[in-house]
Amino acid sequence: MQPQSQTLPANGKRVLCIEDEHFISELYARALGRRGYEVDIELDGQKGLAKAQTDNYDVILLDLMIPTIDGIEILRTLRDSAKTPHLKAKVIIITNLEQREDVRADIEKQADGYIVKAEITPRELADILDKLK
Amino acid sequence: MDNFQSLRSEIRKYLIIVIILENILLIGGIWYFVRFLHQSIDYVSIGAYGASIIMTFVIAIAAADYVLIPLKALWQAIIHLSPSEKGVAAPEIDKLTVGRTLVANLTAQIYQIVTVAEHSESLAFKKSSSLKADFIANNLPLPLIVLDGNQTILFVNNLACSYIGRSAEDIINQNVYSILNMSFPSDQTLDSWLKKAKASAVTTSQLWERVRLNITDNQPKRLFDLAAYYNKDNPQHYETLLVLFDHTSQYSQDDQAISFVALSVHELRTPLALLRGYIEAFDEETKGTLNPELDGFMSKMNATAQQLSAFVNNILNVARVDNDQLSLQLHEEVWSEIIQGAVDMMSLRAKVRDIDLTLNVAKDLPTVGVDRVSIQEVIANLIDNAIKYSGSSKQIVISTAINNDGSVETSVQDFGVGVPTSVLPNLFTKFYRDHHNRAQIGGTGLGLYLCKAIVNAHGGNIWVKSKEGKGATFGFTLLPYAKLAEETKNNDNKEIVRSAHGWIKNHSLYRR
Repeated sequence: MQPQSQTLPANGKRVLCIEDEHFISELYARALGRRGYEVDIELDGQKGLAKAQTDNYDVILLDLMIPTIDGIEILRTLRDSAKTPHLKAKVIIITNLEQREDVRADIEKQADGYIVKAEITPRELADILDKLK
Repeated sequence: MDNFQSLRSEIRKYLIIVIILENILLIGGIWYFVRFLHQSIDYVSIGAYGASIIMTFVIAIAAADYVLIPLKALWQAIIHLSPSEKGVAAPEIDKLTVGRTLVANLTAQIYQIVTVAEHSESLAFKKSSSLKADFIANNLPLPLIVLDGNQTILFVNNLACSYIGRSAEDIINQNVYSILNMSFPSDQTLDSWLKKAKASAVTTSQLWERVRLNITDNQPKRLFDLAAYYNKDNPQHYETLLVLFDHTSQYSQDDQAISFVALSVHELRTPLALLRGYIEAFDEETKGTLNPELDGFMSKMNATAQQLSAFVNNILNVARVDNDQLSLQLHEEVWSEIIQGAVDMMSLRAKVRDIDLTLNVAKDLPTVGVDRVSIQEVIANLIDNAIKYSGSSKQIVISTAINNDGSVETSVQDFGVGVPTSVLPNLFTKFYRDHHNRAQIGGTGLGLYLCKAIVNAHGGNIWVKSKEGKGATFGFTLLPYAKLAEETKNNDNKEIVRSAHGWIKNHSLYRR
């Protein structure tokens, strides 16, 4: 993907980024915004979960280490049909945690993607979201 | 005692007869000389004394010889059996004139005693040698395991039990691979060695270093050297002997060193990712607005951040390799796309050093079975090396083609300083770097080690050829996907999961 200096027009897709590291969320929001995404940032787990349950998003970027409720708990709640009706949003885990293979496999089963933040740049994240159906 | 008494009375009888005869001769002589020859009694007495003395000598000598005959025979019999006196004949008892019964009897008894002694001595020896073997086997201060021809455990000593952490009853009669889940540092495993030994050797032995015991249930990791002795057709079926030399603390120190580095380096990842993110944002949003020099700075900043990031990844991956945690999922991929992706990844780093990357891809390459991320890291590492060692040369050629054996071969060629022949064999060793260039060129010597581990886990080989001053070519082979898939069917594994590491699993466990 070639770098673009132009901001693309809005693509009508909404992204919720539940991430407490301000630098990361800022970078992601900017890179995704330039690709036409509308990005909401939420720094707190509890509030993030509430926003996610509104089902107003196409993609949820979910950090695992966040205050009040951790990401895994949020993921479970979102995937528990008793607590959350079926979401249209794709849930993508973003983390820097080194997970054991089995834990990672378990997360991957429930989430739609698993991204190690240190391994991708914001532009590459945008590339990945562009390819999501 | 009867024999002895009869011998005594025999000897007494003969001695009495001889002495009576002597006296008759003497008295008769005196009488004859005095009566018929009218000799003076004085002369006759003197003559008689003389004759008596002479006859005493003769009789004493003859009698002694006679009496000693049985004793001599016995002496001969004993000496005959003595191990220190070789070549003394056995007495000829039949020819004995005196004490034959006694001697025959005694000799027989002597022979019998000796035979019994010899027998019990050999029994004692046997007993002591089996005692010795038991003693050595049980108290050998090293874990010892004995296997039969089917790799079933016949014997374990006390130390082996405690080393494995199970009782002897649990271990005996089990297959060795089900008890010892071992990983070997190369594909020369115990299993493959045993197969070869069975096929071609009568006795042979082998030593492995850095064998790992994979113990479950939170047992501590064990690292050891393994010595094996094989002998065919052992009558007790003791076909293979295994001795373990524990080196856990020594070997894990090396691993801990890299683990420590990895732990530290791990902390660099987030700031580095942020740095790259901001550089990227700057690069994109200032595109076309900067003067060419500043634009160049931006590219160099970006390239340098990428290089740093690759370095961090290398260290983390080596730590994963060493901990057996880098698992690869091999998927069917179009090789030209993968390699193009890797070259693109490196293009900025080449460009900021004015180096041209040329990619030649042969047509009609079969699809390959690879783990995309890992194999791209291999290509990136090889290109990164080529850039570092290019010197003043400005070209790197990446080529990929199909080999005669059907494997897909990829090579990265530079035209720089080259590698001295003497160091070629060590290039893929951990922490090894060309000593001439150590000062000028950065790097940890982990890159090629990692490449080798990843390529080997794909079932391929990595190689290098170089002439000093004429550049170097690094290459590796990959299996076509079809071939891998065939393997998969044979193994009944649904996924092709490989472990990239120095450690190769002893596959027998899964084959049984």
